[in-house]
Formats: sequence, C-alpha cells, structure tokens
Amino acid sequence: MNPFGKINFEKREDVSPIGRTLAIVIALIAAMLVSAILIKLANASPLDAFVNLIKGAFGNKRAVLETLTKSTPLILTGLATVIAFRGKIWSIGQEGQFFLGAMGGYWAYRIFAGLPAAALIPIIMLAAFLTGAMGGMVAGLLKAYFNVDVIISTVMGNYIIDYFLSFMLSGVGPWREAGSYYQQTAPIAANAYYPILFANARLHMGFLIAIACSMIVYLILNHTPFGYQLRAYGSNPRAAKFKGININKIIIVTMFISGGLAGLAGTGELFGVQYRLRPDLSPGYGYTGIIVAMVAGLNPIGVIPAAILFGALINGSAQMRIATGVPTALTSAIQAIVLLSLLSAQVLTRFRVRRVEHAE
Amino acid sequence: MLNSLLQAAIIINVLASTVRIATPLLLGALGELVTERSGVMNLGIEGTMLLSSFVAFLVAFETNSIILAICAAMLTGAFMSLIMAFMASTMKVDQTVTGLSLNLLASGISLFWYRVAFKGTDTASIPTIQTMGTFKIPVLGNIPYLGQIFFNQGLLTYLAFIMVPVIAFFLYRTYTGLAIRSLGENPRAVDMKGINVTRLQYLSVIFGGVMSGLAGSFITIGTTVRFLPEISAGRGWLALVIVIAGNWRAGRILLAALLFAFMDAFQLQLQGIGIQIPFQILLAAPYVLAIVVLMANRARSLAPSHLGIPYIREEG
Amino acid sequence: MAQNNNPENKKNQQETFVIETFQLTKRFPLVLANDKVDINVRRGEIHCLLGENGAGKTTLAECLYGFYKPEEGEIHFNGECCNLSSPNDAIHLGIGMVHQHFVLVEPLSVIENIVMGTDHKGFLLDFAATEKKLESLCELYDVKINLHAKIWQLSVGEQQWVEILKALYTGVQLLILDEPTAVLTPPEADRLFSVLQRMKSEGLSIIFITHRLKEVMQVSDRVTVLQKGKKIATVNTKDVTTEELAYMMVGRKVVFSVHKDEVKRGDSILQINELVAKSDMGLEALHGINLILHQGEILSIAGVAGNGQKELFEVLVGVRKALAGDITLEDKKITNNSPRMIANKGISHIPDDRIGAGLIADFSVEENLILGLEENPPYRKGLFLDKKYIRKFADESITQFDIITPSMKQRTSYLSGGNLQKVILARELRQSLKVLIANQPSRGLDVGVIEYVHKQLLEMRRHGVGILLFSEDLDEIFTLSDRIAVMFKGKILKIYDAQEADLESIGLLMAGIVDKET
Repeated sequence: MNPFGKINFEKREDVSPIGRTLAIVIALIAAMLVSAILIKLANASPLDAFVNLIKGAFGNKRAVLETLTKSTPLILTGLATVIAFRGKIWSIGQEGQFFLGAMGGYWAYRIFAGLPAAALIPIIMLAAFLTGAMGGMVAGLLKAYFNVDVIISTVMGNYIIDYFLSFMLSGVGPWREAGSYYQQTAPIAANAYYPILFANARLHMGFLIAIACSMIVYLILNHTPFGYQLRAYGSNPRAAKFKGININKIIIVTMFISGGLAGLAGTGELFGVQYRLRPDLSPGYGYTGIIVAMVAGLNPIGVIPAAILFGALINGSAQMRIATGVPTALTSAIQAIVLLSLLSAQVLTRFRVRRVEHAE
Repeated sequence: MLNSLLQAAIIINVLASTVRIATPLLLGALGELVTERSGVMNLGIEGTMLLSSFVAFLVAFETNSIILAICAAMLTGAFMSLIMAFMASTMKVDQTVTGLSLNLLASGISLFWYRVAFKGTDTASIPTIQTMGTFKIPVLGNIPYLGQIFFNQGLLTYLAFIMVPVIAFFLYRTYTGLAIRSLGENPRAVDMKGINVTRLQYLSVIFGGVMSGLAGSFITIGTTVRFLPEISAGRGWLALVIVIAGNWRAGRILLAALLFAFMDAFQLQLQGIGIQIPFQILLAAPYVLAIVVLMANRARSLAPSHLGIPYIREEG
Repeated sequence: MAQNNNPENKKNQQETFVIETFQLTKRFPLVLANDKVDINVRRGEIHCLLGENGAGKTTLAECLYGFYKPEEGEIHFNGECCNLSSPNDAIHLGIGMVHQHFVLVEPLSVIENIVMGTDHKGFLLDFAATEKKLESLCELYDVKINLHAKIWQLSVGEQQWVEILKALYTGVQLLILDEPTAVLTPPEADRLFSVLQRMKSEGLSIIFITHRLKEVMQVSDRVTVLQKGKKIATVNTKDVTTEELAYMMVGRKVVFSVHKDEVKRGDSILQINELVAKSDMGLEALHGINLILHQGEILSIAGVAGNGQKELFEVLVGVRKALAGDITLEDKKITNNSPRMIANKGISHIPDDRIGAGLIADFSVEENLILGLEENPPYRKGLFLDKKYIRKFADESITQFDIITPSMKQRTSYLSGGNLQKVILARELRQSLKVLIANQPSRGLDVGVIEYVHKQLLEMRRHGVGILLFSEDLDEIFTLSDRIAVMFKGKILKIYDAQEADLESIGLLMAGIVDKET
C-alpha cells in the first residue's frame, strides 16, 4: 500500500461546532495518552500524576484561585496572539513584549514611586502597555516598510530583549538590587502592588483586566471597521489591497495592540505576583499564550477557558512533582503535544479521508 | 586594543572559529534550501536542531560512540521533519503553525527528557561527554595560516562545506533537482508531468530534517561537553534568515552563513580580550544583524513562488 | 458498455478511434462534472468539445489525461481499455494536453520546462539530445522560439507554443487543447489553426475544447456538445449550423445580442494622459497611455493579455504606481491616489480575478457586500459597524441582484461564479457611481449570467456612468461598446467608433499589425 497519492483528502466545507469540540476532545485525549507515556518514562504512575495534577489545580479554593492567577498572563498573551494571528501576522514576540511591558512598568514605577497607588498603578499599566506596544510596533514597521517577516523579527527581538534585560540587571546595569549577586531588582514597594481580589490568595486585579481585555478584543474584531479590515487582510491580502484597505496601517496597529497586551501580562506578573523583576519572571508565558490562542480557535472569548486550562496545568504540576517526582518540565511537553494533537484533530474533522480505489 | 586584535594569531583564531561556528548554520540552511525549493517552509528547524542536539548528547553519554550519536541525531531530524512533511504535504495544514508547534514540542520534550534522564545529579557534576575533536587534513592542513583556518576542523565542518557545491549541483544539474525547483514555483506543472508531488516534497523536507539533525549534533558533540536547555540558541532561526539572505542560492547562503558566524566569532574574541562593552550587547549582535540583513534584502527575487502554500489538486 | 451488435463492425470502429469513453462519470464534492459521457475521437481528425463554462469539458479532458480519475466508466485508447492513474500513464500512451491556464514554471527556461519529468537515462541533466529534437520539431511546424529563454520573458502566444512542444516532445498521438485561442490575437489564432491542420496531416488526432461557436465551424471535423455534465450530441461539423450548436449548448434558444439603446454621450469624465508604468518584472509596461472616457459611454479596451492591460487596470484602481503621466477625474487630478480614495471619489471596479482580488472567500455574503465600504457611514456608526444597517443592505442587495444563496451568512466559497459576480455587482454599482472599470466581467460565466452582467452594464450606461471595459472577448466588445480602443504592447494604437469597427482590422491591430494606409 503506497501511502503517497493513493489517499484522497476531500475538504469538508462545513466545520460544525460539534466538529470543533470533537477536535478539542480528541486532542486532549491524545495529549493525555502521550503524557502518560512520558510519565511512565519518568518512573511514575500516570494515574497518580494526573490525580495530583488535578488536585493541585482545583483541589480547594486556594488552588482554584492560584490556577486563575496563573491563567491571568496567559489570557493576555493569548489575546496578543489572537489579534495578530487573525490577520495572519505571525508574531512570536509575546515573550519579548511581556518583558518589555514589565520593564516599562518598572521604569515608570521608579520614576513615579512616590505617588499613591491610585495614581501610580494606572501609570504603570499605561507605561507597560505602551512599551510592549512599541516593541510590537517595531516589528510591524519592519514588515510594512522593509518586508521583514514578522516571525523572524519577533524571534530575533525576543533574544535581543532578553539580553537587554540581562544587561539592565547585571553588575554594570542600573536596576540591580544593591549588594545582591543575583540578577534581580529590589522588591517592589507595597504601594505599587496590584490589589488582591481575595484574602489569603494571590489572585490580583490583573485577572479582571485580562477579562476586560478579552471583551475589548472581541468587540474590536467583530464590531469595528478595523477588526473587519484585519480579518479581511488575514483571509485575502490581495483583495484587501484592491478594496482599499491600508495594509501598512493594519499591520502596524495590530502589532501595536498585540505588543501592548503582552506588555500588560508582563507588568501584571511583576506588580501582581512576583514583586521583583527577574529574567525568570516568565516561564514561557509568551509561548504558552500562542498555544492558548490556537486551542481557543483564535477566538478572544475562548481564550479565557483555554488559559484557565493551561493555568491549571502549570499550577497543578507543582503538586504533581511533589507527590510523584515527575519534573515540572512535563508541562512544556504536554503543552506542545496538546497543540500538535489539536492541529491533527482539526484536520481530521475537517477532512474526510477517502481511499481512491483502482478501477478494476 | 586594535593592536592586540590585529595580531596574526588572533585573526587566525577568529577565522578558524568562524568556519567552525558556521557549521550548524550552513548545514541547517542548506537543508532548508532544498525543503523550501520544494515549496515547504519548515519553521521547525530550531526545534529540530534542539532535539537532535539533545539526542546526540544523550546517546554520546550513554554509549560513548560518536557515530551512534550522529546517527541518532539524523534520525531525530528525520522524525521531526516527517511530522512537518505529513502536516504540510499530506494534510495541507498551515505550515507556519506546524513549524511553531514543532519548536514548542522540541523545547518541551528536550527539557523534560533531560530532567528525567539526569534526575538526581547535583549541579556539581553536570553530565558531560567527549566531544568530536578535530581532524587535520594531511598536506593541506600544513599550509601556513590557511591550514589552520580551513583544514583543521571537525568532520562535520568539512561535510558542511562540501555540501555547498554538492547541493548546488544537485539542484541545477540533475533531473530530481529540476523537479524540486519546479515544485516550489509551480506544483501543478510538476503534477501535470505525472511526478508524485507529495513524495517529492516528503523527500525534500526529510532531507532538510536530516541536515538539521546533523547541525544539532554538531552543537553538542561537535563543540560543547555539556547540554543546556535551549542550547540551540536561535541557530535554527538564523538558518532560516540565511536562506533568505542567500536568496535561495547555495553559494550566497555560504557567504551569509560565514557572515553570521564571523560576527559570532568576533564578539567571542572581544569578550576574551576583556573589552569594555557589556557582553550582552555582543551576544545580541547576531540577532540584530539578522534583522539588518533582512531589511537590506527586500528584493528576494528568487524566493520560490509557491513557498508555504499547500498544493491542492482538485479545484473542481 | 459499447454497443456491439456486429462484432466485425465493432472491430472496424475500434480501429479508427484513437480514444473512446464509455459512460465516463466524474464526481466532485459539490458537483457532478461528467455524467455518463460517451465520446469517441477518430484517428486523424480534429474533434471539438463544445460547451458553456461549467459544462464539464475540461474535466473530461483531464480524465483523458490521467489527471483525474473517473468514478465510473472506461477509457479505451486505440481499442484497448486503459487505466490512467496519472498523467505519466497518459504521456506514455501518447496523450498530450495543453491546458487553458498554462502549467509552466516561469523562472525556468523553455528547455528546462520541457525536459522536467520526462523519461531519462541516469540522473544528470542532458540538454544536447533534447535541443536537437526540439529544433527539428520547431522546423517542422515553422516555430521560432529561443529554447533558453525564461518563460516569463516570452509572450503569451510563445508560452502556448512551449506547452504544445511539451506534448510533441514526448511523441503524442492525441493532442488535447483546452481553449487555446482565449489568449491569442485573431491572426495568432488563425496561425494555430493552420498548424493544427499540419499536425493532422502528420497523423495526429486533436481534441479542441472551446465555447466559441465560430471556431468550431472553422477548424473541426466533428463536434461533441456537452451541457451541464451530460453529452448532448456528436455531429459532423459540416452537417450543422451555429444556431443548432448554440441550442444544444445551452438548451434553449439563445438571443445573440443584448439590445443596446441610443444613449447620448456626455461630457468627458475621466482623462488618462501619457500614463507610464512598470510591470512586476521591472520592465516598462505602459508607454504613455492616452484615453478619454465620457459619461454614458462604454469604452472597450481590446487586446490579448500581456499587452499592459493588467498594469493599466491596476494603476486605475490604485494598486500600482504611475511613474509618469496623470489621471484626471472631472478636472481633479487623482494620479497615484490610494485605492480607497479612488473608490470614495466614485470610481468602482470589477476585477478579472473575482476570487483573488474581489472577494474574501472566508467571509459571508453579507460581509463581502461591504468590502471597501466598512469605513463609510452609514455602514459604520462612530467607532463601530452598524450591523443592523449592513444586514438591511445585504437583504436588499440579495433581492435586487437575484443572488442565489441559502442565507446572507453563507460563506461565499460556496457560491457559483455567476453569483459571486452578482455579489460584486451589488457592491460596486452604487448610486454615486461616476466611473466603472470592468475587467473581463464575463470570464468563466455561463450565458445566462453573461446576459445579466451585460444588462447591468448597459443600465449603468443609461444612468450616465462612464464604463471602461477590458475584455478579451471580441463578441462582448462588439455587443456593448460605443467606442473600441485597441491596446498593443503598452500603447493604445487606435480608437474606433463602434459602428466603424470591423473584426478584421481590430484583429490585425491586436496583433500589432498597423495598417499603413489608415
């Protein structure tokens, strides 16, 4: 049986919501199966691992709140991805813009530190958004005027931003905590903390901001001329050009918004959770955001449950490691497996596989 | 400072390093050249290199055999690219997303596997391996200056440079090469000739994957004694940039790869001298260069017309 | 299967048929393209396949070429049943095909295109033998072509020759040509016909696919008419008239011309002055175009593709830069205005590439109806789209233009070519229209829709809109135009008044043959 060319894939035109949900379910099951194999390789019991994973993520009120806390940056980086990917602008810069936002917020914090929280925090958020947005905009400008692929410029940008942060936190840099050998700033003062939503937990205002952003992005995409133009450009750039849509404007503004959203994620983590700017402020939230967006089907509202799912994964993995010894790095592997499974499952439900028979 | 840089020994050192550093870039770029000529854009090179470098390290650690390690790396590259070929050519899914997924997959799996395989080792005894070492070519290796730069390198380096004319010849002087070049421009034309488009794309993509696997193996067993997470450090992305900067031509790809490698070798030398520039700026230089190169390269006249677009036969 | 009452008869029949199909059926997910088709082609004849767009002619040919696999039925070549699983099989049997849309690799040379994929010894390319063979073929048919030229450097007519050479090189017995004259000037078409006669005398059999009745009468020995996937009849060409063929093709009596009433030509509304522009390849494509369009007139641009029409259209729409010269709309210069500015000033266009440049396939019908209008009130209210108004507009448009769709939320990728064109018309033909630029508006549409499109254009003309019509279809040009401009190699050679124009002189001009006496 020759696998090449004897199988006909007929594209199914209608992807029903059932089909789409089926795809996600298939993906999750496949991911679980592969994860089980990986867990076995780590000499642990898959059942134990999964149970502890779920316990760690949703076991009690505190766990649930922590899961939501972990999902906050994911909602924002997910939204950053959604808005770019809907225009087929393949930005991978969420990670770098995350740090840009954290840096921008930190810089504003240092300047305006004396102000009361009610004034300081909005300023920090604005600075974070704008810094991230500038980062995104640079990639947009490079694409619009120099035809530099957004993928490459954002990936390169991530490395450059990483080194820049390292410099700022280094011995010769301006931000390192005095007297410390570690690459970190001094702790943030309490008047800059994002307000906490529930006592005895870490869930902070950033979560509400993320939810609000989700709705704003939804409105932009579906109810504004700009969103219409962005979607049109993503679907058929040639027709968009012929019908007068300003391509450069679309690219630059989209990257501006995308960068800003990722920037908000960064500053949320800094002023809401970690309270110190360090290179490990993000364990890859930018990249996970891409996966969140894909799982959500590039739907800005769907980003919320998808982010919570992955937040649960990250949160629960700590408990899993304590109880079974499986390295938390499993989450990185699982995330990627979910994405690939989802891609495959989407394809399978979108296509009918038909074996072409020989005419006898 | 300039004086100390201009000493012959240092120049030779930098140039020799350039040749060495160019190896994985060149291997990756040449492989991707063939892949892209067939119409597939494999963004998963970075992940392929990373996972291959880990597998090579692991096999070298367990078996002490360089050959097995290289074979394992090539197999890893083939496997990763097989996924890409399947998604791009058979399933005709968006190639960008697939490539990104492969990168994330490789990141996750390599990190996880590393932690699992070397669980319990404390930081004092990070696992290390014996690297490949260099092989001095007789006669040529004794030429003053040039000998040290070009003919005293690892086997993979020689392979990488030999592949430049080999691949150019393959693409322009063989029937298969002609078919591949046609495929990236107009797959329907190739299909109409009765050539199996899918099979040809699979071969091209997997070839690219094997080359990336070799590149990955060089990163660990070719140069460093230990494995670090994300050790590929963007080389796969640079390979993509090099293909674009080389305008899809093997000779120019060689030049572009040497350019990037030189930048890296140069900044390493500067660090060694103890220059007063923060080392982060030097480390960031290749990535800035990549962007600059792309900015200057707007023409791209030879990009395969159908690159990245899945070929679907039945429009009926 | 085949009727074989008399075994001896059958044997005789089979010996004279180079190819036969029996109950050939080809199904696609959305359409039954060939429905139990029986055809036969005699050796050494020129056999036309006639039908409207969408009748299934090309699909049938692709089945004969092994590119598609029929669901049911058989193909017999030289009397033997054959199982064609790829064009490779067809090529080896001796079947060659020249497609309507060329399958050439543009950056590569003529000889590379011909050699690619052919049988060869060893793995190294060897051009010497190929060159010799091609040179003798070129001599035989009196074709002059530079074998080492890159495809993009060739004219469309020359490119077609490369396609023909591809088939001849592998040694065809049966040559299938799909709408070959669509891209040729009348003189070039005549030359092709004489070459086909030459091939016939060399022993080739030819299947000639077309929707043009005149060609059928001119070149074929027999003709098979297809309609909506079914074979209607096979007749000897000399035994039939164009009216009968038309009736078989469409299934009803066809009125050959749309009634065009007298409309007084108004003031000049669009002036194009010494326009210069470059093509994608960087060569100058427009060498100083001069045109004046008036209100209430249809000015056609006649000419085959590749003479600068694409570039002129794109400059007028605003997606290509004019390097010199200017465009004036009602006394205001609009040269190099953005596409949006041009549209907002009252110039609309119908693109030749409907799906690529005129519509967003993933969008619904409703959303496509406002493409280009999304920033304008009343489709927009403040920061947001006015969804209620848009829905109302879509409703009205669907009714007014008779767009057949299950709902306005339907993705346009489901719609037929005719309905897609109607969506574009509904969108572009607005109250405030001053100038309409129509580029190949009837391409790929069947007769009913073409009629509709022509009626709409004439309606606009009656309302005083100035219409610039780019068309490769001379019938359409003669039906609709008030004036006809002939374009050749980036220049307007001559502008005729419709009454003065005749097919022959226009045809000569289209080929660049300027009559020294006029």
